[in-house]
Amino acid sequence: MDDLLLKVEDLRVSYHTYAGEVQSVRGVSFDVKRGETVAIVGESGCGKSVTAKSIMGLIMDPGEVKEGSHIWFEGKDLTQNTKKQWRDYRGNECAMIFQDALTSLDPTMRVGKQIEEVLLVHGKASRAEAAGKAVEILRRVGIPNPEIRVREYPHQFSGGMRQRAMIATALVCGPKLLIADEPTTALDVTIQAQIMDLMKELQKDTGAAIILITHDLGVVAGIVKRICVMYSGKIVERGNSADIFYHPHHPYTWSLLNAVPRLDLENKQSLMTIEGTPPDLLDPPKGCPFCTRCRYCMPVCREEEPPVTDFGDGHEASCWLQDERAPRTDAEFMHNLKKQENKD
Amino acid sequence: MQTLKYILKRLVEMFITLFIIATATFFLLAAVPGDPLESRADRLPESVRNNLYLKYGLDKPVLERYVITMKGMLKGDFGESVTMPGYDISRLLKETLAPSARLGLQTVIIGITVGLLLGVLAAMFRGTWIDYLVIFFSVLMISVPTLIFGLLLQKYVAGRLHLFPIIGWPKGKDLWLGGWKYTVLPTLTGCFSYIATYSRLLKTSMLDVVGQDYVLAARAKGLSEAQVIRRHVLRNSFIPIITSLPMSVAFALTGSFFIEKIISIPGFGRYYVESVQSRDLSIVLGQTVLMAALYVVVVFLVDILYTLVDPRIRLHK
Repeated sequence: MDDLLLKVEDLRVSYHTYAGEVQSVRGVSFDVKRGETVAIVGESGCGKSVTAKSIMGLIMDPGEVKEGSHIWFEGKDLTQNTKKQWRDYRGNECAMIFQDALTSLDPTMRVGKQIEEVLLVHGKASRAEAAGKAVEILRRVGIPNPEIRVREYPHQFSGGMRQRAMIATALVCGPKLLIADEPTTALDVTIQAQIMDLMKELQKDTGAAIILITHDLGVVAGIVKRICVMYSGKIVERGNSADIFYHPHHPYTWSLLNAVPRLDLENKQSLMTIEGTPPDLLDPPKGCPFCTRCRYCMPVCREEEPPVTDFGDGHEASCWLQDERAPRTDAEFMHNLKKQENKD
Repeated sequence: MQTLKYILKRLVEMFITLFIIATATFFLLAAVPGDPLESRADRLPESVRNNLYLKYGLDKPVLERYVITMKGMLKGDFGESVTMPGYDISRLLKETLAPSARLGLQTVIIGITVGLLLGVLAAMFRGTWIDYLVIFFSVLMISVPTLIFGLLLQKYVAGRLHLFPIIGWPKGKDLWLGGWKYTVLPTLTGCFSYIATYSRLLKTSMLDVVGQDYVLAARAKGLSEAQVIRRHVLRNSFIPIITSLPMSVAFALTGSFFIEKIISIPGFGRYYVESVQSRDLSIVLGQTVLMAALYVVVVFLVDILYTLVDPRIRLHK
């Protein structure tokens, strides 16, 4: 499989704190093909960002990528990388966009310099060329008057422009993989759409694969091909976006979908929330991690980890409801969904 | 244009500040019972005493003296010293400022350099024995008064080991660049507090900056740890240092009473405290106003420096 770019295999990451070992990521596996967009969706604290940081090699003390985890990038295992190899890879082969562009740009350095820095550190351009390239990439991401803007500081940019500048910084070396960690969370809705459009457009040009990390299923709709739903350090359901949106099988995915605001619902019902909080990762539950908040929880869910059920075409979910002995309870949800579709 | 307006505005403010400080100093000293001539004049015959009071203008009512003093001040004349006949503030400065300034400069340069280096070390090796060692010495240096360090050094390093002279200060042509052995002990004594202050200040500031998102972003760009520290962490950590730095220099230049007293350095700081004790108005006023002027100018410079280090700050709104 030559078009396989990234393969994460049984990734486990723990943070060693005074309270004990926090198991942030507990055995995550997924892969990304060249040029495709994969979304990792889940609520705060489910291990999305930690997964992203592991792929960038940015897990620092007291964090630890556990023995037995593998991250294959173009057939090479990143977990065996030396510091030097990591440096050559970061920003060059794989770049990352952070959630809050305001705090992710150095306030005391001109925007142009921050872009040039990436080119220079990877030897992609001489000092003289780098300045020109910085202007060029800023124009590419849609910043007006880039010749003037490169000389300005981040605080002189608006929120959306800062995120554009971040994207420019990430893409200037032409990485094969772009990790976008909640790239639109800090922006208002109209700007969110612009930024997502920009990323889609740039992806078409550069052919970079994108891992889009978000807590908002609304953001990923129509942009990504495949979605992984993460909960409590594990992937609970994965599949292509049509499957996840129209035929979800995990109760957590149902709840997430219900939490997306919609304009087209007949009775303007208030947004659904997911009751309760995720389990404490200091001491993860032995059964299904979602069992304490799940409406359809059965005795077996508390005792044993649910097996992975394959629905074909890469659509998988880990839930006991899919066991043949379980009662068919997703009817209520499917019914809801039908009603909406009829309405459309 | 706007910058010029801002600077003018600041100059007027500085002038008003100095005026208030001078006025406050005058009335505070005037409010203290007795006067500088009291102890000296008591034993003198009536007529001589009256002449003395007349000479220094101490026979006039307070408000009249205030007007006279202020008028003189505007012309740069603070009046003659009462306790040191023949001296006025400019002569005193000429004779005492050089030793204080040299001691201060040496202290500040060594103290801040060592302090900042230790701060960087402590931040980079946080949680290791290097960090704990730096913290231990900082706390020790900041808790033990300068005076104690001075006396201990004097007793053991100079007294027992005879490594350096116990007291004294280079004079004449050695005033600025010679007689180093005399300056070692007082410089050491003085620089401890700077080492302690600056190592802790920089360490705290660096740890704060290291946790910022842009440092993570810099790492994600592929920069090495050294490059991250040099290009992003240090520059941002220095913002709080910049405010304290000029203040420390100004503070050091005006001398230290304790060190000058125990090492017998003919410095400015010593005379300042002594003239307050003897209520020598013209000298106290002169020194206070000059020091206040120095500080006010330094504060102004700090504001300008800020705009150079941190582009987010502009002089005018």
